[in-house]
Amino acid sequence: MSLVDVARKDLTNLSRSRALWAMAAVVTLLVATYAYLNEGYRQPPSEVVGRLFATLVLVVAVVLPLVALVVSYRAVSGEREGGGLALLLGLPNTRRDVYLGKLGSRLLLVAAGLALAFAATASVVRARHGVLPVGTVFGLYAVSLAYAAVFVGLAVALSATIATRGRAIAAGVGAYLVLVMLFAVPVVRVSAIVRWVDEGLLGLAPHPYLYDAVSYASPYTAVRKAANLVLPAAQRATVFPRPPGGAGHLPLYLGDWFSLVVFAVWLVVPLALGLWRFQRIDLE
Amino acid sequence: MPAIETRGLTKRFDDVVALDGLDLTVEAGEVFGFLGPNGAGKSTTINLLLDFIRPSEGTAEVFGTDVQADPLAVRRRVGVLPEGYGFDDRLVGREYVAWAARTKRADDDPDELLARVGLTDAADRPAAAYSKGMQQRLAFAMALAGDPDLLVLDEPSTGLDPNGMSRLRRLVRERAAAGTTVFLSSHILSEVEAVCDRVGVLRDGRLVAVDTLDGLREGLPGEATIRLTCAELPTGGLGVEAIDGVTGASVEGRTLVVTCRDPTVKAAVVTHVAARTEVVDVVSEPVSLERLFADLTGGEDGAPRSAVAERPPEDLP
Repeated sequence: MSLVDVARKDLTNLSRSRALWAMAAVVTLLVATYAYLNEGYRQPPSEVVGRLFATLVLVVAVVLPLVALVVSYRAVSGEREGGGLALLLGLPNTRRDVYLGKLGSRLLLVAAGLALAFAATASVVRARHGVLPVGTVFGLYAVSLAYAAVFVGLAVALSATIATRGRAIAAGVGAYLVLVMLFAVPVVRVSAIVRWVDEGLLGLAPHPYLYDAVSYASPYTAVRKAANLVLPAAQRATVFPRPPGGAGHLPLYLGDWFSLVVFAVWLVVPLALGLWRFQRIDLE
Repeated sequence: MPAIETRGLTKRFDDVVALDGLDLTVEAGEVFGFLGPNGAGKSTTINLLLDFIRPSEGTAEVFGTDVQADPLAVRRRVGVLPEGYGFDDRLVGREYVAWAARTKRADDDPDELLARVGLTDAADRPAAAYSKGMQQRLAFAMALAGDPDLLVLDEPSTGLDPNGMSRLRRLVRERAAAGTTVFLSSHILSEVEAVCDRVGVLRDGRLVAVDTLDGLREGLPGEATIRLTCAELPTGGLGVEAIDGVTGASVEGRTLVVTCRDPTVKAAVVTHVAARTEVVDVVSEPVSLERLFADLTGGEDGAPRSAVAERPPEDLP
């Protein structure tokens, strides 16, 4: 398992990066401060805390992809550009070892940073409000980790096919814009565009499920749905409104559990394509 | 089983043919020098052997294993000093060597390896802050880890000072004496001459010669030099320049230095001079390697500076 050696060396290197420690400290401080300042008006503490975590999901949905991409966007391309790859592949490592080792180390790094932020938030919540929904905290940690893994995997996959820093940055920014911004910002939302084409341009009858399904294709939507799986019932977000006057249930593919399928597809497909490509290109 | 065997190995980058049908066999246990000017295809060959890049045509085997089919098996038996490596990680020298040893499943002591290349004092300093020569030593120490059966060294003396170069040569000879096959590329003749049993000369992606150095000297036209020490000053060169095949003559004290178009002219020179003055000593120098290299690789214009003769010929007084 020389991919373990690859990952271990990478983690040793990353653990000495002041920039990464600074980023971890800033993110942790921000969420902890938010948790501290959050107060309810004539509400029981459990409800305040529940709302706090529900809001945190929105912060996670927007910020975590950035963190994951920043941590991983040069995982492989940086080695290629800096000459580390010649050393890695001069030793008894396969290209797959390098690829998966880098993926492993970056995942561990994000998992550790996330654990730090969650631990800090949980401590502050407990001290400030006297209650801590342990199940919700662990559940949200797991959901956040899955969400982060999607972007780490995507960044590693992209970085394996890229040779220069400039392109790596462009790919990272592009991934964020397409997968998060295009689904989060109301006017340019992909689902809104599809709706506009469908109803406005083609003059067809509305297909609300179609627009929702298009929206669900994004990990950004998926993480909000996945959070519903672990949040208390009162705090769950209505990501897809049920059609007015329609049946009481959304189709299966718009249900909360389906978010795990969305995560799985986003995790596996880019990584598989990236590995396939990385094993075929010339590395100089 | 040969250590390296390539058949019709070809690599094209877009329109450029970097390597053109290389047929090369390096036997186990030999020290093989891969010689050629910059851009001749030396690094391309090494990158193909290590499966960093893939051939357009042809095959390459290392110890009988196809390098594309099982690069891991190849890397397990090979110690590599690659071209274009970089020590970017926040690791000290010792950690890099320890990582190399661990990845090779070798039980080498990193400090011992660092001592061998003369980096003991820098073991605890970040490798990224090393000078080029120190990084070259560090990469060489990593290549030595695990006592590989084949050492592949791409321009190993790059950035090394004279001390580092002689240490490198000593280590290469040591390893070779212990049975390790060494494949080293270089554009520096003295380096190849100092350690190699056989050389292959590459020019524009083609192998133009493979032989021992002596074999190359004999088989190829090139200037031969003969030095005749005379009892008296050989005034005016004693007219040796009139001899057919003599390309130049100079006088250094009582020594007459005559360059000939090829070695066969030497006898005529000795006869000519002996008939005119008393000859005390005769030293015949082999074909100059610089000359040979220039001939093989397309003339001095196409050759790097180091290949150009260091001592300009003196004019007759």
